[in-house]
Amino acid sequence: MSSPETAPADTPPPGSTDGHILIVDDDAQIRQLAGRFLREHGHRVTGARDAREMRTAIATGTIDLVVLDVMLPGTSGLELCREIRAGSSMPIIMLTALGSETDRIVGLEIGADDYVAKPFNPRELLARINALLRRTRAHLTPLTPGVGSQLTFEGWTLDTRRRELTDPKGVVIDLSTGEYDLLQTFLEFPQRVLTRDQLMDAAKHRIATGFDRAIDIQVSRLRKKIDVGEDGQAMIKTIRGSGYMFVPAVERR
Amino acid sequence: MIRSLDTIAARSVLVSLIGITLVHMLSLWTYERALERELTIVHEARLAERLIAIKHSVMLVPAARRETVAHDLSGGPIEAHWSAFKGAVAGGPGVERWQGLATQIVALAPDLRAADVVVGSSAGADPHVALVSLRLADDSWINFSLFAAGPPRASGHGTLLSTSLMALGVILLSVLVARWLSRPIRTVADAVGRLTPGTGSAVVPATGPREVRELAGAFNDMQRRIADLVERRTQSLAAVSHDLRTPLTRLKLRVEDLPDATLAGAMTRDIGDMEQMIDATLSYLRGDADDEPLRSIDLVALLVTIVDDARDAGHDCSLTGPAHLVIDSRLMGLKRAFANLVGNAVRYGGKVEVAVAARRSAVDVTIDDDGPGIPDESLRAVFEPFVRLEGSRSRETGGVGLGLTIAKANIEAVGGTIALTNRPTGGLRVHVTLLLRST
Repeated sequence: MSSPETAPADTPPPGSTDGHILIVDDDAQIRQLAGRFLREHGHRVTGARDAREMRTAIATGTIDLVVLDVMLPGTSGLELCREIRAGSSMPIIMLTALGSETDRIVGLEIGADDYVAKPFNPRELLARINALLRRTRAHLTPLTPGVGSQLTFEGWTLDTRRRELTDPKGVVIDLSTGEYDLLQTFLEFPQRVLTRDQLMDAAKHRIATGFDRAIDIQVSRLRKKIDVGEDGQAMIKTIRGSGYMFVPAVERR
Repeated sequence: MIRSLDTIAARSVLVSLIGITLVHMLSLWTYERALERELTIVHEARLAERLIAIKHSVMLVPAARRETVAHDLSGGPIEAHWSAFKGAVAGGPGVERWQGLATQIVALAPDLRAADVVVGSSAGADPHVALVSLRLADDSWINFSLFAAGPPRASGHGTLLSTSLMALGVILLSVLVARWLSRPIRTVADAVGRLTPGTGSAVVPATGPREVRELAGAFNDMQRRIADLVERRTQSLAAVSHDLRTPLTRLKLRVEDLPDATLAGAMTRDIGDMEQMIDATLSYLRGDADDEPLRSIDLVALLVTIVDDARDAGHDCSLTGPAHLVIDSRLMGLKRAFANLVGNAVRYGGKVEVAVAARRSAVDVTIDDDGPGIPDESLRAVFEPFVRLEGSRSRETGGVGLGLTIAKANIEAVGGTIALTNRPTGGLRVHVTLLLRST
């Protein structure tokens, strides 16, 4: 197999989620199959089997997003993630081992934007790629200032490294993936109306039909878990006709 | 007695005690024999001196008074008589014990020849009485009757005391020595008892006598080998899981190309089942239950997540209980346990009811389904790893036979209990009891 494998170049229309994806995985068939799948959904795909090919591909300057396997022969995916992060803010999605908390936490810690457990569902990977690209393109940089991995509000803490929510008394409150993604979005854009479309990206792991409804269900479930703020006001306010707003002030630590 | 001799210390004390007592007795006996001999010679010498002194005294007086003087000088074991004739007849029973005396007399009185000293037994053949006749210069005889009063004996009290002191010393010393010798063995035994196979954590200290050092070394070697074995096994498991990820990912991607949506859906579910099996097996073999620290967690929030997921998957699943319930426990361990239990319930029963109720220091969680239940005789067996039941809960519903095993391990790791019962109205009830404050 010749590599890097590059699809015919086509410039994505502005504002779309189409982009040039670099898949770094040592398995040729996965590169090929995932490449075909993503191309069918409008992306341009380049494959790289190791660190050397990855560097060559990135050097072309056309890559929009990297999908990086943690387990690579030679230099590990985590090393490569750190290497890319040192030079740019290019979006990175890590492919982590099934059920390996350590890989996930370390991956996010050294600057990966998201992760997908391998074996991944192709549609989930696609949804996450699209969400990440849309967010990057819209320059939807989080409003909450600071660089820490802990978002705090009214005594509560969301640890984005451990993906863990603790209440003011330090009790760990379990969240589903959807609830977590939703809460993180609220905390990154607090005191601002977020439309269901914007929140859809947060619930990116949900690829079933009826997104709007799913968002409403997620919000109501999340509300039950975080109850009300200290002043007795609901923390998540429904803005009739447009979406939701997270009321409390958020700090990043 | 046998029980108290169970330790190396007790046994070595006993052995050295017996050994040293024997040696002591033997040397004591030898010593006493030698002492007795010495005393006998001294005694004989004194006796001989007296006999010669009497003889000299008798010699100095005229013949008429000799008998009177001889008689006057008698006393103690000696009775002396003067006469013109020899009283003793050489030989006789028991005479050999007096031969020493005869020798002494000849030695002390050089004027006497051997023939001038006659030693014989008494007329009554009493071995304790001897007759000794000494010839005087004028051929008259002085005859002695000697009563055998043995030589003075050494006092027995001293011997007893010294023996007892010695025994005491031996006991004390051998207890100390035995302790000193067996302590390293105890240390090794304690260290070995603390070992957790495979962790390679505690190392048996290689101190003490060489044998014990070798023992400790052997244990450490064995421990290293076990750790290596576990490490190799874990590594090969990780390798298998990694190697399986790739073909499973490929399969998932290939399914996307299938034109037949029904077939694609079925295959996706199969791949999902395989993923779950690998996940469960790896989790079981890694022993995930013990890694996580104890923390305050909201049990209800955790159950809500699991029940919501079951609902999203289209199952009839409900939760009743308080809005929040904080317990000290392990979030990931309990989440996996309850996910397995609720997963089982929705798989085998149509309608699942989860209920939470707090007591004073514990929490009861019940998971009821309306499925076929489990035969009473299998209610315990289902917790064993890889056990699958024939019939009602069959293979076709998937799973690898580890769900309940992992659930039980994780629940027990936080001090909880789990029990299965068949509900009188049909279906299975899983009853989990958790401590509010885990120990």
